[in-house]
Amino acid sequence: MCNVQDSHVFENVSKILKAHAHADILITPDVRISADLEIDSVEIFDIVMEIEDIYDISFPVEVASSIDTVRDLVETIGQLTNV
Amino acid sequence: MFDSGMKKNDIFEKFEKLAERYHGVATLGTQPFGMVFDEILSPTRARVGSREVILAGTNNYLGLTFSEACTTAAKAAIDHQGTATTGSRLANGTFREHLELETALKAYFNAASAIVFTTGYQANLAAISALVGRGDHLLIDADSHACIYDGCRLSDAETIRFRHNSPEDLAKRLSRLPDDGARLIVVEGLYSMLGDVAPLAEFVDVASEHGAFLYVDEAHSVGCYGERGRGVAQAQGVLDKVDFLSGTFSKSFASLGGFCVSRHESFEYTRLVSRPYLFTASGSPANIAAARAALATIAGSDELGRRLWDRANQLHSGLRAAGFEPASAPGPIIALPRADETTAVREWNALLEAGVYVNLAVPPATPQAKSLLRLSVSAAHSESEIDQILEVFNALSDLVS
Ligand SMILES: Cc1ncc(COP(=O)(O)O)c(C=O)c1O
Repeated sequence: MCNVQDSHVFENVSKILKAHAHADILITPDVRISADLEIDSVEIFDIVMEIEDIYDISFPVEVASSIDTVRDLVETIGQLTNV
Repeated sequence: MFDSGMKKNDIFEKFEKLAERYHGVATLGTQPFGMVFDEILSPTRARVGSREVILAGTNNYLGLTFSEACTTAAKAAIDHQGTATTGSRLANGTFREHLELETALKAYFNAASAIVFTTGYQANLAAISALVGRGDHLLIDADSHACIYDGCRLSDAETIRFRHNSPEDLAKRLSRLPDDGARLIVVEGLYSMLGDVAPLAEFVDVASEHGAFLYVDEAHSVGCYGERGRGVAQAQGVLDKVDFLSGTFSKSFASLGGFCVSRHESFEYTRLVSRPYLFTASGSPANIAAARAALATIAGSDELGRRLWDRANQLHSGLRAAGFEPASAPGPIIALPRADETTAVREWNALLEAGVYVNLAVPPATPQAKSLLRLSVSAAHSESEIDQILEVFNALSDLVS
């Protein structure tokens, strides 16, 4: 497993999440997007769309709904861009 | 048995934040999410406590709820068939009137198949979940109604969202998909929150270019758009190219229930596999009769539609003159985005106190996290009622402060 924290994807994702976060906390791989950053489910879907455009991928809604932590998000992007 | 440490397993703990927000809104006046009408006086008027209010948030677009045709038909149905069907159509049998309504819908939409469901919510749940399954793909507009999302969840197909009303974004996402499996695109005709219309003719083209089926939910638009109210697809000249068209009887049809029609005869088999059709009771005789009477009224004349559009144009231009910026072009739904939730709640209360009921819509139920005052127009609104609504909106900033 790659080191999530050092990845380029993590850097990109952090930037996007920071712009949407309602709680001002340091973004690490284990931060929970909804519980810790206080981003609601609808906003998460919008963030996912931004990410889809950057990486030219499509996240199935089922996958997007099961994302909990920043690590989940980064790893999902990794999986979808590798196929 | 339960020590204090059990608190973290409290099943209601997750509601705490929500409860705080819910009760917080009520401190600004009336609870908008628990609105009670003490008496419904007409399609456009109700009594709230001791106050009479003009209703501008009902979805009663054609104002048929008190029409002679609908009320007489519903009462007669109760007298002749009783108050309920007491079962599902497959297990407990079909009342002839349900079939007659389906036949009338087929004729109205020139469809090969029509199925009536117990609500509009269930129509989408039932049709979407039955049409696609594992290995298939659903492509849905990002602003889709909750029942479209729920229909997708109930199917085993993979669901992909595309940008709201963007045929280009849809095409991009379709081209990323693998070749195998069926593809079903789901959009709405008229979006219920912002009142914007879908570019259905362009979606039809994208669907055919990518070998996909097109499903259009016209819950809000049937009765309001197109010749004899046949909806946005008909108005844009593509009704015969839409594969599935769903709708509800709960708005323009002044009843309760939903339907889905299709140009494909094989859609009939949905009845055998669709859980929200199989495992719930069919619509009550009174509801079916009222819907049938409303359909006859709508199919028989464009008169109510014309009245609705006159009032919609009057309200839309009046609101603009009063300094408000509706989210969309004139239509039966007029949404006014507000600066934030508190502003919207304050204004909603001021309107109610001045005798005008509108809908308050806040995130996460709204697109782009907007806080909205949402108005729906009815053919039953008189010109002077719209004027009264506008008078209140003109005075709104004073009323709030
Ligand atoms: C777009 C859309 N589809 C379906 C429905 C569900 O209709 P019904 O009220 O008949 O369940 C609604 C109504 O809320 C809606 O807005």
